[in-house]
Amino acid sequence: MAGMASPKGNKAEASIVDGRLGILLLPSWVVIGILLVIPVLIMFVYSFLTQDFRGGVIWTFTLEAYDQFFIDRGLFGDEPAQLEWTYILIFWRSFLQAFFAMIFCLLIGFPTAYFMATSPPKSRSFLLFLVTIPYWVNLLIRTVSMKFLIRDTGPINEWLMAFGMIDEPIRMINTAFAVQLGLFYSYLPFMVLPIYASIERYNFVLSEAAADLYTGRWTTLFKVLIPTVKPGIIAGCILVFIPSLGAFLAPDLLGGAKNFMIGSLVEEQFKGQAGDWPFGAAVSMILLTIIMIVLLFYARSQTNSAGRGH
Amino acid sequence: MTKTALFIDGVAKVYPHRTNPVRALKGVSFDILDNEFFTLLGPSGCGKTTLLRIIAGFEDITEGHVLLYGDDISSLAPNQRPVNTVFQQYALFPHLTVFENVAFGLRRLNRDADDIKQRTTAMLELIRMAEYGDRKPSELSGGQQQRVALARALAPSPKVLLLDEPLSALDLKLRQAMREELKSIQKQTGITFVFVTHDQEEALAMSDRIAVMSNGEVQQIGSPREIYNNPANHFVANFIGEANILEATATPAAGKKAKLTFNNIDIGTVELPQKLDGETNISVMVRPEHIHLSPASAKTKNAIKGRVKDVSYLGTDTQAHIDLPNQKEILVRMQNNALETNSFDVGDDVHVTFSENAIRLLED
Ligand SMILES: Nc1ncnc2c1ncn2[C@@H]1O[C@H](COP(=O)(O)OP(=O)(O)OP(=O)(O)O)[C@@H](O)[C@H]1O
Ligand SMILES: [Mg+2]
Repeated sequence: MAGMASPKGNKAEASIVDGRLGILLLPSWVVIGILLVIPVLIMFVYSFLTQDFRGGVIWTFTLEAYDQFFIDRGLFGDEPAQLEWTYILIFWRSFLQAFFAMIFCLLIGFPTAYFMATSPPKSRSFLLFLVTIPYWVNLLIRTVSMKFLIRDTGPINEWLMAFGMIDEPIRMINTAFAVQLGLFYSYLPFMVLPIYASIERYNFVLSEAAADLYTGRWTTLFKVLIPTVKPGIIAGCILVFIPSLGAFLAPDLLGGAKNFMIGSLVEEQFKGQAGDWPFGAAVSMILLTIIMIVLLFYARSQTNSAGRGH
Repeated sequence: MTKTALFIDGVAKVYPHRTNPVRALKGVSFDILDNEFFTLLGPSGCGKTTLLRIIAGFEDITEGHVLLYGDDISSLAPNQRPVNTVFQQYALFPHLTVFENVAFGLRRLNRDADDIKQRTTAMLELIRMAEYGDRKPSELSGGQQQRVALARALAPSPKVLLLDEPLSALDLKLRQAMREELKSIQKQTGITFVFVTHDQEEALAMSDRIAVMSNGEVQQIGSPREIYNNPANHFVANFIGEANILEATATPAAGKKAKLTFNNIDIGTVELPQKLDGETNISVMVRPEHIHLSPASAKTKNAIKGRVKDVSYLGTDTQAHIDLPNQKEILVRMQNNALETNSFDVGDDVHVTFSENAIRLLED
């Protein structure tokens, strides 16, 4: 804020504060280093090694894994090289699924967050508590129960048939719809919470100011509220999109073979003895690269549009 | 003849609550004239903001009506009222530039692009911020944000502009400068201003007329001079400036006149609203600056005897509390002059005098 300039020129004090901050940040750097940077480096290295047949790697450098991903040389590897579509299609399908999961979470999550943030302060913490309830149960168990719920002989179909609304079960299990449902259900709170936090901080006098300046309710929503809470919306979208992209429980358990996604592809390479570790590592590295590029472009556009903002 | 811009007709407001609903306005009625700088003045919690929000349409009315140039606007939504507000904390749109903030209302009214550009630029010039159009509100000082909030509310040419303590977040110097600026902008634009403040000095300096409020009721309406010189009651006398309230004894004289004595000292003759039947006690008010002190040694006619309790030197003025025998103390304010004649010390015996023209009657 203007007018709150801190006294400058006291270098000694400033550096003490910086030093302290450095120490305070140390634990998080250690955690990030051990749990994030090192595993990613291992994956990076593995993706350039040779596959060992019972899982694991042989320490010889090769581009075999990336070759397998992008290039098709026929069944016996003797045909002319062509672009391999299998994995690109899996990527494409995963991006679509993750994108739609993000959109559905946004469409349902935004009104939910708005409702929570505008309810009386006393009931807010209770509503927040309700949002976290699904996390008391393991995701695997929740996904499996979803499977029971929507299968052909599950309660939904049975009730609909019992009430005579349908004659034969609606096919839900092993469809893209089921995967959507699973992703939506798994990640909805990740959309709700950041949006809730930013709407709670929103100054509702801004909405009054808009109404005062001849703005109807919907226009106020789109011209004032949403632009103001945009950082929360973006955070929610990222928090839903990225894990959806790599999800394997929902596609595996609910989607069946036709709805294979990146997560399952990677999982398969590391599971049991049939896997191909370098290939799994390469797929992960390609996914990571794409996500990094998208996020970088996003960050770039943000800093540009913020202009001189501080 | 001046037209009535706003007619507040018996407006009452109750904020509902399970156990103790708040009666924020208890049926107030008055009118605000076209092109007037009208101020709602009163202590915290007296209902000023409530009344302003009712005029803007943010609160619904429990009872009564608000008429804007003769039309009942009580049931219109805020976005349908040709009335704009300058909010206390400015409430500028943080994601929009200064230019877009000012143009906001015009865009919503679907003015054509040239019109918007021209009007917005004119408003930015009015507040002397033409070169700040591209900045975001977070890049402005408090005073600049304040002026942008003003320009934003003025841009659509509202029939009435409402301002809720717009200067309270500014520091003293800036506040004084903004007073002048607001006043001159009001004169330039010819828009009716309804200004809310709890700062009596601000109200006196800026307003054409003031409504003094307390406890959800209007105590008095009048020009700053009327309100200061002829406060209607104890509340107004004490709230606007400082007041000494003296319990005097009135004895009937010719016609409606009465002779007043205080501590058995004759303090003058005043005209009462009606003839007195016999001796009565009445309260009168004397402003501290209308009281004169002289040393006890001096020969002063009809002086009340007192003793100096404390003295504070305030630069332009000296202020002293004087203990009076068998009455509470009174406050005296003397302008300091080059001769330093106001040098009284604590414990000095003094004579207190004031002219009978300085006496004001208060209704209870
Ligand atoms: N939303 C509300 N719900 C319940 N009571 C309210 C509400 N808003 C105001 N009040 C009460 O109504 C009364 C008048 O409030 P109002 O805000 O109009 O006062 P004000 O004159 O503007 O005071 P200030 O100078 O402190 O701003 C107060 O007693 C206040 O507590
Ligand atoms: Mg107020």
